[in-house]
Order: sequence, then structure tokens, then C-alpha cells
Amino acid sequence: MIKVAVVGCGGMGNIHADRYASMPEASLVGVCDVNEAAAKALGDAMGVLWFTSMAEMLKEVGAEAVSLAVPTYLHVPLLKEAADLGVHVICEKPIALSSAEAAEAIRYCEERGVRLFVGHVVRFFPNYEQLAGKVREFGGERGGVYHAKRAGSHPALVQPWFKDAAKSGGVVFDLMIHDIDYALGTFGEATEVFAFNKVTDDIDYATATFRFKNGTIAQIEAFWGYPGPFYTSFEYAAAGGIVRGASSDSESLSVRVAAPPGSAAGFVETPQSVLLQDPYYRELAHFLSCIESGGEPIVTAKDALLAVRWAEAALESARTGQPVKLGEGGAR
Amino acid sequence: MRKLKIGMLSFAHSHAFDYLDSLLRMRNVEVAGIADEAPERTKELAARHSIPYYADYRDLLADASVEAVVICSENVRHAELTIASAKAGKHVLCEKPLGLGAEEMESMIAACKEAGVELMTAFPCRYLTPVVRAKEALERGEIGEILSFKATNRGSFPDVPWFSDKSLSGGGAVLDHTVHVMDLMNWFTGSNPASVYAYAATLFDPEGKRTIDDAGMVHVTFENGVSAVLDPSWSRNPGFPTWGDVTMDIIGTKGVISIDAFNQKNSVYSRKSGKGDWAFWGDDMNALMLEAFVTAILEGKPVPVTGEDGLRSARVALRAYDSVEAGSPVKV
Ligand SMILES: NC(=O)c1ccc[n+]([C@@H]2O[C@H](COP(=O)([O-])OP(=O)(O)OC[C@H]3O[C@@H](n4cnc5c(N)ncnc54)[C@H](O)[C@@H]3O)[C@@H](O)[C@H]2O)c1
Repeated sequence: MIKVAVVGCGGMGNIHADRYASMPEASLVGVCDVNEAAAKALGDAMGVLWFTSMAEMLKEVGAEAVSLAVPTYLHVPLLKEAADLGVHVICEKPIALSSAEAAEAIRYCEERGVRLFVGHVVRFFPNYEQLAGKVREFGGERGGVYHAKRAGSHPALVQPWFKDAAKSGGVVFDLMIHDIDYALGTFGEATEVFAFNKVTDDIDYATATFRFKNGTIAQIEAFWGYPGPFYTSFEYAAAGGIVRGASSDSESLSVRVAAPPGSAAGFVETPQSVLLQDPYYRELAHFLSCIESGGEPIVTAKDALLAVRWAEAALESARTGQPVKLGEGGAR
Repeated sequence: MRKLKIGMLSFAHSHAFDYLDSLLRMRNVEVAGIADEAPERTKELAARHSIPYYADYRDLLADASVEAVVICSENVRHAELTIASAKAGKHVLCEKPLGLGAEEMESMIAACKEAGVELMTAFPCRYLTPVVRAKEALERGEIGEILSFKATNRGSFPDVPWFSDKSLSGGGAVLDHTVHVMDLMNWFTGSNPASVYAYAATLFDPEGKRTIDDAGMVHVTFENGVSAVLDPSWSRNPGFPTWGDVTMDIIGTKGVISIDAFNQKNSVYSRKSGKGDWAFWGDDMNALMLEAFVTAILEGKPVPVTGEDGLRSARVALRAYDSVEAGSPVKV
């Protein structure tokens, strides 16, 4: 049983706290947010102590590990503070907003003997796990053509800090990083990237093509400000076969409720793809088991650093209009 | 009703068979001759429909009553056949890609102009009903200004051998499958491609013997700043439920238009084929394209898709190969 605490009681913090609370191998001991109302709401809902300062919480509740679900620009300062207190860190993605900062975070945790895990959750989605198996089966050597897409409404509509690229990194660092991480975990070493990025007041759209050493061409799109429900899709095609899937094709349960008479829409519909253990649960349980066993996680902090390097290269390509070689930066 | 007498020059490209089917069903058309250098391919077919057969296309062109021709030869012969037809005073509908070099295509256009005949490039995708509706929505300004395109024109490896012989085809998937969607993007933006950067590779031959490119990713920047990514790969295998696709997301400042042109389909599971198939039931783009050609000629009007259109998109595909060589974007 590992004692865990959660810092940041927003969107992701709520998910982390909820999953820990239902996990036999974890004991949720506290939550924290600089926004007192958010901290209190989640603490009360989970029946745990709540705080407005991480340092205070970590000292008081004796947490062995802490989840950082704070705005991205705060990841590194807070993870250093936790490391100084000897607490293992499970940090939301991306690890940092620059590769220099990411490398520094890894070094810092290593020196203090605390583990550092980064929540690249796509590796824990069963459909993507299966996809990775098919990639191996269908011709890993010569590679194939991969497409991945991730699109949703602009997160700044809910949390304004996402709009500030200095805080969130924009769509490449925040959203595309999911598929970048997945691609580096699945296709290995990339040699080059070519990208476009279109930013308006309402939209941040990026499209990046990564070329891999094994020949694979991976075309990845990320879209904030997409006028439709959150959507993900992938396709891998190689000599041995094709595998593809999309979030819109995998809803396994839909609850449709008749709306009260007189309301504009005739019904309210909530489609879901349901699992006993969702990907966040699987991810967090995996990280905790690595803390217990001392084993290597499926996605390492070095992978998270690499994903940041590739994201930097994609943005550089979008800025310069030239392909950017990944060189040493492309290798795992 | 006046009937347009059309001759068909070469059946090297299997689209000729589809075009013939459509032409035979048109009440304002008489197929007045088939010229094909391979009698085993077409002699019997011509006899079955009581159409005069010629082993030498020059004999067909000598028939003064033939007003127009449809050219479906190997790509490398498009120029020779088009120019000879123009000199014989025939209007031309030429299969894409229009030609294998900018100069060659310019001479085709010039020959037709000089002879006072029309030259149309066979871009049937212009006649896909969802494409036409998308163009109308764009013109109404429904999604604001175009920012970016993401498109696929994936297909199966052509079963006609000359496609994999560069001396006859001029190129592989990147040439064959860039031009259709490139033409749509030119049409939608009303702008010209300024630069292109592409990847081309050979990834989909299970035997590993193929040398022509069957995979690629083409990135285009238009003069007006719009960016585009297109997958032209011959990546569908016989296990896939259909031959290929034409899809396009048009990302605008105020919305997104998504085209999946062949998604109007029934799923068919036949014991005989042993696999699932998608049977298309949407409008017939080939028939609509041929009708547009025939109507223009009969009414003495300019054809709706010109030789210049063919040149504009073929040039992008040809420059795409130059960019692969150069390893950097090239001007179009
Ligand atoms: N893995 C995923 O699928 C996924 C999804 C969304 C977001 N994220 C990541 O999770 C992180 C948080 O995103 P979010 O959507 O939950 O944001 P959010 O804005 O909803 O929540 C962040 C919370 O952190 C609090 N906070 C700010 N500074 C703090 C501090 N110093 N100490 C304690 N609390 C502080 C804020 O008050 C807020 O409640 C981001 O890095 C984001 O990239 C990951």
C-alpha cells in the first residue's frame, strides 16, 4: 500500500484522486490546490485532508508519492520541491516546456533518489496497446505509413492558462505530445520532422510528419478549437496489413435520456467507451507498481524528455518551413 | 439529338474500361472507335459493342467523323497521343497525370490551342457530389478562410504492370495519387502551390521486390499561405474492404469541412470472397465527368477542367520527387 497525494485539483487532479481512491494498492492521503475552493471540493468528495500548499501537505500526510496535475509551466518547480522532500513524483505530461528543463528535472530527481514518472497515458489505452502489437506483426522492419489525429475544443475555453504558450506549450506540447510519445514508443528512432502550425484566436492546429529510421512515415495532427466532440483516430498501414481505429467507432455504451418536454433538444446523449479499469487507472497503478518493485516503467522519464525534444523540433520546422533533423535527439 | 462521336485511344489504363461503360450508356455519345495496341485487351470488347477496332491509333484519328478522343495510355504516351489528336482536330480528354514534365505538358496545351480543340484533364474527383457540396460551402464562406488541408488518396497497388515501370509511368504512388487531390486543393483555394516537400518510399510489397515508390507524404504550401498534407500511398491490401479512398479535412478559421468521398457504402460479407467488403452506392463521378466533357464539346463551350489544371497539379507531384532528392522543400 502506497500513500499518495494529489497536487492540482482541476480536470486531471480529479481523475488522479478518483483513481487512487478506488485502487487497492494505493491510499489517497491528501489533495492540494492553490485555489482553496477546488482543494476543499475534491478533499471533501474523497474524504481526505485538503491543503493549499504542497510542501505543507507532503510534510503533514507522509505521502510516499505525489501526482502533479498542475498547469504545465509549474511541473518542474513543483517536482523539484517534491524531490527535495524525498517524495516520488508522478507528473502529468508534458514533463516540461523545454528539453533543457526536462533533462534538468530528470537529473534532479535522480540525484535525490526519487522516482519520476510522466503520465503519457496513450501507452495505457488498450486500443493503442493492441495497435503496437499489430505494428510489430505487420512489418516492423521496413516500416509503414502511420496517421494519428487528436482533436477537441480549445481547452482555454475552460482554463485560460492553456491559451498562453509560455504556460501550456500550445497544441504541440500539450496535445500532440500524446501521439509523439506513442510514436516514439512504437516506431523507435525518428530522423526528421516536417510540420505546419496554424494559430488564430480560436484555433491552434498543428500537423507534423515524422520520418523514422525504420522507414515509417508518421503523420500526426493535433487540433485545439475543433468544432466537434473530442476525437482521436489512428491508422497504420504496412506490407503485412492495415490496422485502424477511431474514438467515434468504439463507443460501447450510450445512455440516452429523454429531455423534459418543451426543451429544445429532444434528448440528452452520453456515448462512452467503458472499461473496468480505464487508461488513467492502468497508468497510475503501473507507476505505483514500479515504485514498489523498483522496476522500469513502460514509459520512462527519458521517453518524456525525448517527446519534448521532438515537439521542439516540430515547432522549429513549423517556424522555419524546413525539415528539422533529429540527429542524436531522435534516439531513445 | 446530336451525338458526339468519340474515339478511345489505348486501354493501357484500366479507367478506360469504366469510361467505356459510362460512354456506352450516354444517349448523346457514339463510341466511334477503339484504338488499342494490345488487341487481346480490347478487340473482342469492341466487336461485342460493334465498335470499329484499330491496332494503330493513327487510323482512328484519320476518321474525320470522330470529334473527340479519350486517352488512357501509359502516362509516358499522353503527350504523343494528345498532340497527334489535336493535329487531327479532335478534342481531347486525357487521363491524369497529364504529362511527365512541365515542358511536355505545355506543348500539349499549346498544340490543342493551336488546333482550336479543347483539352480536358480527367479529374473525376471534381465530380464527387460531396466535393461539389464542399466547394459550395467554401464559397458561401461557411468555414471562414482556409488554413490547412489534411487529405488522403490511398489506393491499392495497380494491377497493370506498367505502373511499376518508371519509364512508362514516370513515377509511382506519389505521382499517380497526388494529382487528384492536388487538383481539388487548387480548386478550393483558388491559389497556386508555392512549395512542396515530400517523402517517398517503397513499403508495401510483401515480397520486398518492388522498386517504384508506393508510399509517401506530400506537404504543400500555397502562395496564399494555406498548408496541405496529402497521403498518396498505395497502401490498401487485398484484405481491405475497398480499393482506396479520397478523404479531406479542410480546416478553416470558422469551421471544418470533412469529406470522405466513398463513405456512402454498404458493408457486405460474402461467403465467396471470405472477407468484408464496402460496396459504394454514391453518385458516379466518372459518368458525371464524361457528361461534363461531352456537354461542353457539344455546346461549343470550354471544358470545365483544363489542361492547365492538369499541369498545375502534375507539376506539384513531379516537384515532390525533386524535393525527396533534395531533402528540402522546393519551389513549384
Ligand atoms: N494525460 C491527459 O490526458 C491530460 C489531459 C488534460 C491535461 N493534462 C495535463 O494535466 C495538467 C493539468 O491540466 P488540467 O486540465 O487538469 O488543468 P486545470 O487548470 O483544470 O487544473 C490545474 C489546477 O492546478 C491548480 N494549481 C495551480 N498552481 C498550483 C500550485 N502551485 N499548487 C497547487 N495547485 C495549483 C489550479 O488552481 C487548478 O485547479 C497539465 O499539465 C496538462 O497538460 C493531461
